[in-house]
Amino acid sequence: MKEKNMEKLLKELQHADLHRQTRRHFLQSAGFGLGALGLGSLLGSCSSSSTETAGATGIANARIPQFLPKAKRVIYIHMAGAPSQLELFDYKPQLQKYHGQDCPAEFLEGKKFAFIQGVPKMLGAQSNFAQYGQSGAWMSDYVPYLQTVADEITFLKAMHTDQFNHAPAQLLMHTGSARLGRPSLGAWSVYGLGSENQNLPGFIVLASGGQQPDAGKSVYGSGFLPSVYQGVQCRTGGDPVLYVSDPSGMNRDMRKQTIEAINEINRQTYEEVQDPEILTRISQYEMAFRMQMSVPEVMDVSKEPQFILDMYGVKPGEGTFAMNCLLARKLVENDVRFVQLFDWGWDGHGTSKDHNVEGGLRQKCRESDQPIAALIKDLKMRGLLEETLIIWGAEFGRTPMQENRNGLVMPFMGRDHHLDAFTMWMAGGGVKQGFSHGETDELGYYGVKNRVHVHDLQATILHLMGFNHEKFTYPFQGRNFRLTDTEGKVVKEIVA
Amino acid sequence: MLYPLLQASSWAMFVGRFHPALVHFPIGFLLIAALLEIGRRTGKVAVSESAIRFILFFSAIGATLACVAGYLLSLGGGYDEQLLDNHMWQGIGVAVFAWIAWLIKSDRLKSKVPYGSLIYLPAFLLATILTLTAGHDGGSLTHGQGYLTQYTPEPFRGLAGIPPLEEKGMEIKPLSDVQQAVVYNEIVQPILQARCAQCHNASKQKGDLRVDQLALLLKGGEGGPAFIPGKGSESDMIKRCLLDENDDDHMPPKGKPQLTTDQIELISWWIDQGAPADKKVAELKMTEAIKPALASLGQGAVLGKTKKQESAVLSLKVPAASEQALENLRKAGLIVNTLSQDQNLIEVSAVNAPNFDDKQMELLKPVAEQIAWLKLGDTKITDAALEQISKFPNLNKLHLEHTVISDKGINGLKGLKYLEYLNVVDTKVGDAGLKNVAGMKGLRSVYVWQSAVTDSAVSQVSKQNPDLLVVNGFNEAAVAEFLRAGDTTSTKAEAKKL
Repeated sequence: MKEKNMEKLLKELQHADLHRQTRRHFLQSAGFGLGALGLGSLLGSCSSSSTETAGATGIANARIPQFLPKAKRVIYIHMAGAPSQLELFDYKPQLQKYHGQDCPAEFLEGKKFAFIQGVPKMLGAQSNFAQYGQSGAWMSDYVPYLQTVADEITFLKAMHTDQFNHAPAQLLMHTGSARLGRPSLGAWSVYGLGSENQNLPGFIVLASGGQQPDAGKSVYGSGFLPSVYQGVQCRTGGDPVLYVSDPSGMNRDMRKQTIEAINEINRQTYEEVQDPEILTRISQYEMAFRMQMSVPEVMDVSKEPQFILDMYGVKPGEGTFAMNCLLARKLVENDVRFVQLFDWGWDGHGTSKDHNVEGGLRQKCRESDQPIAALIKDLKMRGLLEETLIIWGAEFGRTPMQENRNGLVMPFMGRDHHLDAFTMWMAGGGVKQGFSHGETDELGYYGVKNRVHVHDLQATILHLMGFNHEKFTYPFQGRNFRLTDTEGKVVKEIVA
Repeated sequence: MLYPLLQASSWAMFVGRFHPALVHFPIGFLLIAALLEIGRRTGKVAVSESAIRFILFFSAIGATLACVAGYLLSLGGGYDEQLLDNHMWQGIGVAVFAWIAWLIKSDRLKSKVPYGSLIYLPAFLLATILTLTAGHDGGSLTHGQGYLTQYTPEPFRGLAGIPPLEEKGMEIKPLSDVQQAVVYNEIVQPILQARCAQCHNASKQKGDLRVDQLALLLKGGEGGPAFIPGKGSESDMIKRCLLDENDDDHMPPKGKPQLTTDQIELISWWIDQGAPADKKVAELKMTEAIKPALASLGQGAVLGKTKKQESAVLSLKVPAASEQALENLRKAGLIVNTLSQDQNLIEVSAVNAPNFDDKQMELLKPVAEQIAWLKLGDTKITDAALEQISKFPNLNKLHLEHTVISDKGINGLKGLKYLEYLNVVDTKVGDAGLKNVAGMKGLRSVYVWQSAVTDSAVSQVSKQNPDLLVVNGFNEAAVAEFLRAGDTTSTKAEAKKL
């Protein structure tokens, strides 16, 4: 009886299942099946070329640069949230005069802002400016340490972008596209120039400020490049890389044997299915094994002399932005190709004590200004600055108007997201020293001379690394992709 | 009735632009038909008359369509009238004679044509010849007269009576003395010739503009004068050059060689000064902004210091290193990369070979000529290795940091004429060694932090060699000073002083 019931139940299940199978389901699965067959043969036919790029040792193999690389390594400092250029570098005395007045209508016509509504008031700089260095660079009292290295820096004062929300703007800045799926600048760099130190990843990411960048891990992802090129995030406190140290009871020999066994199986699978991602997996296992030794060593600052720690303003064991700057120096000293720093908390809308362009921004600067200046000086005295490109900037800038979210007066002085004008700067690796490129109008609203788009910046960075951004491509889904897609012009004026 | 309608509509221009594409059909078809006709008559190929007739039919259709499109294109204006006239009638001739030839071959209609078989060959021949001449004139309209034969080599050049190749070409020659150059003749006009004259010349005047004479520039084209003397940034030609490349009004059109920023600045500067025809650079008002652009025109000496030239060694042509030698290096754990695609110089790095020592220097011998960048920092090499290194004639950058090398070793480097970068951070190199290498002509930067070099030697050497960057690093005292410099209270006082 029981059995019969069981049988009945199973039949009913089958029946119900068939009921739900519609013509659409059938076509869908058939389509997927056929599509997958087609895709398989397609991928099979091009796998020979992709294996070459992802081979276990492939990451060390550089493509030959199109011309001489001036920057061999990059430290990219991204201030996530976007600091105000008008409080730091873009000195606008006229804006001070219009402080508190209604924003002129022509600034608002046809424009969209993230939060500003109606007619906002103009907002003068909350900081004091002066000129520094022989180059006479304008800087504010928010960045007193950076003033001491003014003559090492090239400013790009008329940057502009297309996106006014954090995540898409960050994606655009790092991957050349506001949508997901493209490789990041760091991934392209390692793909192009290869990774030098075999014990460390070629692309390392360090984050501070308590949160990840809004766009998440995609801003340092590898997109359609083999995943071996993606950025490896290291923690600055505790274990630098989670789960990289051996669990108690497992010694290094046993770990080695385990990894060898896993890799042997992976190799057999690779021979069977020829998926290049398996090679990535193999090389990552091997890298992880080496990293167990090398990463704790390179991330350990306890052997640094006290005066170096003082210079950066770090205390061992702290996971601060300052610590990340010191680590960045240690990493490039060990020939890591691309070090990406993210610092969260620069979004000065004026909504709270921490997020504004007065005390909040000043505090963020206090935490970051000294280590950045120290990093420049430290690299210089080690002879690394002329080969290392430092890039500082954010995903966009901030408006010359005070934010008036929901028509209210904000509790603190704040500015909205602004895409028509912001400042970035570079130093070292092949850029001019003590130079300023681009100008904004007298209120700092719009670039009026030598505007530089995000794609232009990317083209320039690739140029400094020896690549012609128009010819540096990767084939994917039937066409060649490049970081700058179809845009971008090298800013030759800033190249030393 | 049709004419004003056509001229007004963008349809006319749309269809017209297809002319350069369409013309290739009748040209190709007619030549094929002619070849087949010859082949058939000489018995070389077996092809039926109907096949030739079929091709002729499409030749005639193609020629007719090309004529229509060509006429519409010509409404846009800007072409040499005489040349255009010739081209048009030749094109119409092609269509007419192609139709006649087809007519005579046609089964149904040939009986109606008197003396058909007599006219057939001459008509066919005329259509073919006119295709060639019309095609040539069409080319001259698009690319300018003389385009085809511009680069005829000798002795054919002399035989054909073409004057010797003019050097103006597409590239602009550097000036020997920028200050004495006549701005219009020697700076502005060569830029215009290289970048604008292809479409704005005596035989082709897009937008009714010619750039080959100053008066004609002032007269301008459809949109008014090309520039307003004294107002560079308000001048049409400057504005167009500065527009986004994707803008329809941008000049030169997208895809053509563009003016550089310097070139635009130069022309704008000249216009700002009233666009004089015969003034020299020295007679015009110099601005800070124009100096680099002017410097880019000459050898630069006249305007004082210009930016440093690209390292000489990097344009050096050396033979490629043997694959075997490179493979041996890689086996020893060294990284070996070619510097760039256009030469064979290499960089070698021992970052993954911390045990690299003097004995292994032998490995580098076969690539001595190719090594430009060498990184042996953090290795076990001693002064003995430097003896080998001194025999790498094209060495450009040398990293020796964190090794035990000393003065004795680096003295040997003096003969390396291309060496620009020397890193001896954390070594035993001392004052004597620094002074010894400081005299090297090509050397640009030396890093001596944590070596035995003293601060006084650094400042002394820096004073004697102002072009040489000698960098010593921080010690405790310097860090304290740095921390004071960044102290906000003291900076404010300093800022006021500025």
